[in-house]
Order: sequence, then structure tokens, then C-alpha cells
Amino acid sequence: MKPTLDWLGDFVDLPTSDPEEIAAALDSLGLKVESWEPIQQRFSGVVIGRVLEVSPHPDADKVRLTRVDVGGEVLDIVCGAWNFSEGAVVPVAVPGAVLQGDLAIGERAIRGVTSYGMICSEQELEVGEDATGIMVLDDDYPDAANRIGQPFESLLPVGDVVFDIEITSNRPDAMSVYGIARELAAYYDVPLRQPDFPLDVYNDEATTTVTILDEVACPRFVGREVHGITVGASPHRMRARLIAAGVRPINNVVDASNYAMIEFGHPTHAFDRDRLGDTIVVRRADESEEVITLDGVTRTLQTTDIVVADAERPVALAGIMGGADTEVSDDTDSALIEAAYWEPPSVLLTSKRFDLRSEASARFERGMDPEACRHAADRVAELLVAHAGATIGGVVDSYPAPPTPAVIELPMSEIERLLGVTVESTQATDLLTRLGFGVEGSDPLTVTVPTRRPDVGRPADLVEEIARLYGFENIPGRLRMGNGQGLPVAERRLRKLRSVMVGAGYHEALNFSFIGTADLDRLGLPDGDAARNGIRVLNPLRQEEGVMRTTMLPGLLRAASLNVSRRVEDIQIFEIGKVFLPGSGKLPDQPDRLGFVAAGVRTAGWDRRKSGYDVYDATGLWETIAAAMDLPEPAVQPVQRAPFHPGRAAAVTIGGDIVGTVGEVDPAVASAMGLDGRVIAGEIDVAPLVIDRGPWVFSVPSQYPPQIFDLAFEVDEGVPAAKILDAINDTAGDMLERLEVFDVYAGESLGEGRKSIAVNLTLRAPDRTLSDEETAPLRRSIVAAVESATGGELRGSL
Amino acid sequence: MSIQQALDALRTDTPSRVAAAADLEQLAAVEAETVGKRSIIAEGRRSLGAVPETDRKDLGRAINEVAVELESLIATRRAELERSAHAAALASDAVDVTLPGRAPKRGTIHIIQQALDEVVDIFVAMGYTVATGPEAETEYYNFTALNFPPAHPTRLESDTLYLDYGDVPEEILLRTHTSPMQARYMEQHDPPVYLVVPGRTYRSDPLDPTHSPVFHQVEGLAVDTDITFGDLKGVLEHFAREFLGPEAKVKFIPHFFPFTEPSAEMHVWHNGDWMELLGCGMVNPAVFEAVGYDPDEVTGFAFGMGADRLAMARHGITDLRHLFDPDLRSMEQYR
Repeated sequence: MKPTLDWLGDFVDLPTSDPEEIAAALDSLGLKVESWEPIQQRFSGVVIGRVLEVSPHPDADKVRLTRVDVGGEVLDIVCGAWNFSEGAVVPVAVPGAVLQGDLAIGERAIRGVTSYGMICSEQELEVGEDATGIMVLDDDYPDAANRIGQPFESLLPVGDVVFDIEITSNRPDAMSVYGIARELAAYYDVPLRQPDFPLDVYNDEATTTVTILDEVACPRFVGREVHGITVGASPHRMRARLIAAGVRPINNVVDASNYAMIEFGHPTHAFDRDRLGDTIVVRRADESEEVITLDGVTRTLQTTDIVVADAERPVALAGIMGGADTEVSDDTDSALIEAAYWEPPSVLLTSKRFDLRSEASARFERGMDPEACRHAADRVAELLVAHAGATIGGVVDSYPAPPTPAVIELPMSEIERLLGVTVESTQATDLLTRLGFGVEGSDPLTVTVPTRRPDVGRPADLVEEIARLYGFENIPGRLRMGNGQGLPVAERRLRKLRSVMVGAGYHEALNFSFIGTADLDRLGLPDGDAARNGIRVLNPLRQEEGVMRTTMLPGLLRAASLNVSRRVEDIQIFEIGKVFLPGSGKLPDQPDRLGFVAAGVRTAGWDRRKSGYDVYDATGLWETIAAAMDLPEPAVQPVQRAPFHPGRAAAVTIGGDIVGTVGEVDPAVASAMGLDGRVIAGEIDVAPLVIDRGPWVFSVPSQYPPQIFDLAFEVDEGVPAAKILDAINDTAGDMLERLEVFDVYAGESLGEGRKSIAVNLTLRAPDRTLSDEETAPLRRSIVAAVESATGGELRGSL
Repeated sequence: MSIQQALDALRTDTPSRVAAAADLEQLAAVEAETVGKRSIIAEGRRSLGAVPETDRKDLGRAINEVAVELESLIATRRAELERSAHAAALASDAVDVTLPGRAPKRGTIHIIQQALDEVVDIFVAMGYTVATGPEAETEYYNFTALNFPPAHPTRLESDTLYLDYGDVPEEILLRTHTSPMQARYMEQHDPPVYLVVPGRTYRSDPLDPTHSPVFHQVEGLAVDTDITFGDLKGVLEHFAREFLGPEAKVKFIPHFFPFTEPSAEMHVWHNGDWMELLGCGMVNPAVFEAVGYDPDEVTGFAFGMGADRLAMARHGITDLRHLFDPDLRSMEQYR
């Protein structure tokens, strides 16, 4: 809502004109002021003048010569506009005037005749959009003729301000200048001027009859007839207010309807009475019935749609948009002004189905006041009488279902229970009464809710009304501590997981949870892959975001690719988030996943050689995670799984259960994503990483010297190192302090298809120095175990 | 020349020879000649046995005196030479320390996550616990249980993203706020409740400088036998001071949410203007009824805030799109 201070002044005399103060008042009422700005005149030296004479220019036929009385002086002015004649009262920029901030007006020769100033149009003065001619003031400002020589701005509101106010969806009653004035009157405790229409005396029978067949959808329908309309422009002041309110002026008929809606809130619709039958029916549409709406679209209706119809056909989509063939045109003589109450759900249902939302439907959806219908129709009629030469016709007011105002019992204790402050019942009564509620009794208060307040239905709603006017700032704060259990273990461990990734050099990204099917194609996933089975978004914003992600990899690979395209060299990115998979319950399965990607060139300082990332960086990261998160029996095993490189990827396991995959990305996939060289990635379930594993137990480091020795085994090329390491681990027992692979060798000396794996072992006892004699049997059994597990043999001797 | 004379000569000559030794090698040579095995001192000691007993003691003392004196002289010189040798070695080992260091790689936590964590920590310190919930949610928990009327505009596809899932049309959606966890948590737990819910939320808004289809919120809920609007103010004012600093200035203005009554927005004074920080209010009795709490027995407050906006306000980011653009040059700035 964008009311001007001037317009609000029609209904309430505020104790201040300081916009800052008024904005603060509106804020505290819950009518949030997004912004406010002064309506500033960017002209000076413009006065009201009267045209005394008009004569042709001797040397030009596009302009005329005028003599204009500007109060005590008569100026010769050359004027190019033709929309006025002798006697017109006009704005005159006299020599020395400034227009549009910096356009100086002086004496100027036009085709040999000196012009002493300029008669101005709305556009030149920046007080309107009309540039077709100069402003003729006596049309719109009857008082102007008495003010010849006075400044033009004396006709305009002084110090006017426009407020941009956000009206929350529960307050349809405040979607009008009058509604906002009512709130301000309550705030300042000053009187609200009731609109005073003389129209109540025009109660002639209308020539139209109205039958309401669905009283739930339409409890009231008012039709006011007006005759003898002359379509033209609205007066300047009305147009200026509409423009300030963000509504484009069209003509006096459309403007009247819009003006009345902005002013009092209730939407109306004008039918061309002569194109409408005499019998109006409000009914549900027939299945497949059609109506062409004002926007020229043919709408095929269903029985859930409510229409206004005459005997022949629907003429409006109730509360949403009128029909094209009964639209008011320049030739319209008589009109029927409809002001009805349309039940929100049916308006919403129909406007949603047609994706057709109008200013009217937005208001009816929130709930208008059935009591305001007559008033709304009459206000439009009055404006047409005043500005379109119309005469008042009859009225039809079908009101089969007047609402019963809600009555709420409010115990005074409820106010204190919810707000924490004590409010006396006299004060509560005063506050509610100022807002237009009817109040009886003292405790409980028996409160009658005005029909314009569909949002108030419970005691808590009344407490809010009291609190708004009492002032939130007058309720003292109290720091109240809870008794909750703090950060759950899994949350704490999730934070640790993040810090492990950060310590490993990875940057956290937050990618959108959407992917497109093309993303899955790019990953080269086979048809049956579970990640192919993504859940579709029914109304995606972009087709590339049409599916919920089933894997973290597309977003991460895209992120890597984007950095490459921006010439960022060294890329390490991770993300923790949900993937969405079909499940057996009502909701999709939504496990959290840790995903990571690294690509490009790793630099380790100015003097180091640059290197890339490979699978061992991926498995090494897993080892770091496993160690930091205290995972039991972490391991890896070879895996062939798109989009990973079939020979350079590993399934990662905890206690034998697969929890994810890490490794190099299939080079074809990487290259399709615009990534060169080796790219590593991984995706691991988060839940088994972060579940509570209890506190770990300290083991005292032995103070005795160790035995450190190397073993090298020659095995078949296909034997995985894990076989050797597992055999050693299983055999060596508690004395094995450290086990490291330090060399892998395959060369001519070993022969085709053979390799050597060398390990370094540290054996240490907690309570004594180990002797060669003591460990000799253990070494022999380690070697035997490895040889039997791998079919290989020890190189050299023990 | 008697031994005594030889000692005297040695005593006189040696200091200049020690001083003249330019390096440890030369000094070692001087040492060998003056106090070494073939020196006069060694020779004198060896010959003491042949000296008459009456003179032996005096001569022995004299030899020792000279030996101690010269050894001390040599040791001092050696220390000197060692020092300068060490200094020379260090000098030749010097490098340009202004060359860039070998920094261990440092990753970063996303600033939205940092904001989420920080908000959560402030409430945990006030005695709140933490829960998270599903992002794909039922319309019941997202709307109905929170007192949204069946025809509320937010349910429209223009506001809410729906999923093609299950048998009932438009039943499964992407939660539009973290508030569904209010209902889920209260269904599972008896009062009192002191809870915060960080998480990801969705709206049908195209990405632009101030909107994103994916954003992040922290929800809060306090339910007890005697929670008032005053408690809501006190707790949230404390939060603002913790998050933005002790000077943080806030105001509460009435607002509307279907699931709270009264409802408010908390605004903070930030960079010379009021900024909306969060929405809040007293839990609507209809929500208590939906989860099986008795609204006559308990009262509560709830709030929700956008973590993305908190992060932006703090770090001078004016375009939301930067937060969702995984450009390492942005992420490396996070600290």
C-alpha cells in the first residue's frame, strides 16, 4: 500500500506531520513501512495565470500567441498547445522560473516573437504524465480562478509524503488508505472521519435483478447503476494520488474503481449495463462453459468456479476478472457497479487454476468485509457523478447471508499469561475500542469483532491487538534460560568432520540440492544405477534443476569445472548435505552425504615441484577421516562404479560395511565436465561417521626400545597390498606398533607379472626390551602368514 | 737450556702464536707443539723422575703452572675460533626469509555454515538443544500443523516447490521453512521444550541478488508452563547482543505468521539502517492443539531467522549469489 500523507489527511488529523514519526507509528502498529519519500516539486517560479487573449502567430501555424494575466502583470507567451482558449486558468513558468530541477525559463524569441515564459503541461511540471496539452487548472481545481498570481504549488498538497507499507496477509482491512487511517487514529487516539456519502438517499429500484445461487461463495452482491457516463480523463488530483499509490490512471471510469479500492479497500467491477442482460445470477459454472476474460483469454470453466452470469452466459470470473464482452468502453453510457463479497477459498482455487491473479483476487483471497459492499459501490458511483458526468441509478443489494460478528471471551489473566505484563481491564477495553472492537464486561471482556477482521478469532488474537497498541517496546524483556540437552553428540561430531576436511585443505561449498537428468548422463551412470532414480520437482524453476540430487558428485564436479574455467589452479572442495532417494516411508530417504573433489595442480611452496591429485590422495583422506572420527576397522576395497575410474577407485568400509566410494573420476567423465588431468572425488555416508562411538581409551606409549626391520615380498602383480598388510596385522598381535609400506617395485629383475612390496615394521613391548631371540619366531610366522596369504615369497632372508 | 729456561721461553712465545692461529687447524698445531705430547711441557714432566727430589716439587709445580696457563689460553682461542667458524657457517647458510613460506593448506567452512553454528552455539549456551529434520517434508507438517489455512497463498506453486513423490498430489514438498520441526519435535517430546533447528529450506524464487531457491534458517522454540512475550524479547535481545555485539540495538514490530500470535519481527540497527533479522511470536494455540499440547497448560515462543542474510550482513556481501557460487576465490576469503 502506498498512501500519501495528504490522502490519509482526508480521514484523520494526525498530531504530527513528521514522516519519520508517522513511519515509526505505522511500524509499531505492524504496518511495516518499507520506505517513505517526500513528493517533491522540482519546479519554482510557476504561478497561476489566466489566458486573456489568444491570437495566431504571424509566421508560424503550429504555435499561437497568448496574453496571460499572472497577477498584476500581463505576459506575452508563445504557446504550442491547443487544448485551451481565452479565459483558461493555467500554470505559467514566468521568466526566472526553473523546471525539472535545472531547466531555466527566460525570455525567448520564437519565430520572431518574444515569449515571456511558458505555459506548462503536467509532464513539464512533473506532476503527472499528460503531455498532450497544457494543464487547464479550472477543470480540476475550481479554486484556481481565485488565485491568479499565486504560486502554482499552492494548489498541491504541502509537504506531501508517500509511504510504502507492507500489509501482512492477515490484514485485508488495512489494504486501503482508510484502513491505515483507522489504525493511525487508534494509535494517536484521535477521531477517524467517517466517509460521508449522500448516496444513501438513492435507493431506487434497479433495472437489474440479482439471484445468488451459492450463498457460501457469495453472501452478498451489490449492484449500483449509473447512467450518462462521459468517459474522459480523471481530475489531476485524483490521478496524482493514483500515481503515488502505484496505479496508472486510465480514464475516469477505471480510475474511479481503482481510486475507491485504494481508498476504502473493497474491489468493484463495472459492467457496461447495456451489454448485460437484466437478470444477474451468481452461480457455479457449468462444466466446460467458457468465458473470455478482460485479458482476451478464453477460460474453460469447471463446476468449482464461481461466475457472475446473465441469462445468456457468464460475464465475469467472480472476484478475479470481468468478461471481455461486457467491458466498459469509451462508448459506455450506463454501468452496473458490482461490489460483492467473494469467499476466499473459491477465489483462490480458481485464480490458482488459471494462474490468474489480479489486484481484486489478491484482496478477496485474504477476505474482504461483506458489510463494506454497498459503501464500495456507492463510492465508485459518487466519483462517476463527480468526474464523469454520470447520474445515479438504482441499486440492487442481495444479501442473503449477513455474517454474524464473532464474539470472544477474553479473561484478563490471558493477557498477562501471554505478554508477561499486567494490563488493567479499563486499559484493555480502551485499546480494543480504539481499534473498533465492541467491548463489554470487565473480566472476562466480551469482545465483538468487526466483520472486517477475519484474522481475529481467538483470545490470543485479541491479546495481539492489545499488545500492538500497548506497544511491544513497553513489554520488558526477561532472559529466560532453558533446560535443553545442548549440542547432541552427532552434531558435535559433524562439526569435527567439517574441521577434518578443512584441516585437509578442502573448502566447503553449498551447492543447490537440485540436478538435471543431463548431470546424471554426464556421470556415465548405467541405466539401472540407483542414482538414476531421482525424485522429480513438479514445478522446477529451471529444467536443469528438475530433479532432487541423488549424489553429491554433479554439484562438486561442476564446482571444480567452474573454477578451472576461471583459471583457479588448485581445487579442493567438499560439501555435506542431503541426497534424496525413493524410500519405503511417506517421505523420501534423505541421508546426509559427505562429498569431495580435488583437481588441478597442487603447489607446495615456491621451491617445490607441482603435482596433481591421484587415488592415494582420496584413500589417504579416508584414512585421515577414519582416524579423526575414531571409526572401527576402516578399510578400502577395489570397486568398479561409475563415475569412478574402474581401476583407481575404492569402496570405503567401516567394520566391513560399505559406506562410500573414493577415488579417481573416470577421465571421460572428467573431460566431459571440462576437467583435465586426474580428478579425485568421493562420496561417503555421514551417519556412520558421526554416530556416537563413545569416548576412546588411551594406551600408554611404551618406554622400551623397539625392534625396527624391513620385509620385502615378491608376489604376483595382481595381489593387493591389503593381503600382505592384513596378514601381518593378523599375525603380529599387540607388539606391532607401526606398519608402513615403503616401496613397491616391478621391474625386469623380477620378471613379467611380478612385483615386490616392501614394508617396515616396528615391534615394541610395553614392559621390556625385545631381543632378537624373542622376536625370531614371530618374524618367521609373519613371513609364513604373508607367503601363504599371497602365494609370494620373502625376498632375501630373515 | 735448562727446562726452566725452556718453560720461560715457551711462556713468552706461545701467546702470540696462539693469537696468530687463524683457524682451528693452526691452533691444533700450536697446541701440539706447546702443550702436546712432544712439547717441552710433556718432556719436562717425563723427565721429572730424574730431577733431584729437592727440586722435583718446584719444577713440577712450575711445569703445571705453565701448562694450565697455556691450555687456558688455547681453550679461549679455540672457543673464539669455533664461534667465528659457526658464524661463518650460518652466514653461508642464510636465505631470503621474505620469500613466501611453505604454508600448510587451509580449507574453510562456508560462512553460512559458520553463521548457523554460531547461532546454534548462542542458544545452546542458553540451555537449548538442537535437532534437525527432513528437507523433503509433508504439506501437513510444513503448513497444516502450523495453522496455515488450506487456501493460503504460500501453498501455491509460485511459492513452494513440490515433489513428484507418493500417491497424493502435492503432499510432499521441499520445506519452505525450518518450522515443521516445531510440530515434529513437540509430537515426539513432552514439554518443556527448548530447541533450535538449523537447516536448509526452499522456495520457488529464482536466484537473484536477494533471493535464492535454496536458503538456510535457524528455527527456535521454547515451550514451558509460563513463557511470555517478555521472555521472547529477553532471549532474542540477548541473542542479538551475542551475535552482533553488546551495543546491538533492536526493536520488535508486530507482524503476521499463521503459527504465532502475537507475531513480531525483530529488527536490528545495522550500517545506519534498521535491518529485519528474524520473525518470531508466541506459539499459536492452534499449533499446540495440532501436536497434542494443551494450550491452557503451556505457552511458548518460536522464532526463525535466515542464516544467509546474517552471513551477508556480517561480511559486507550485498549479492546473495556469491554465497552459492563455489568460486574458490570467494571461499578462500572465508575465515
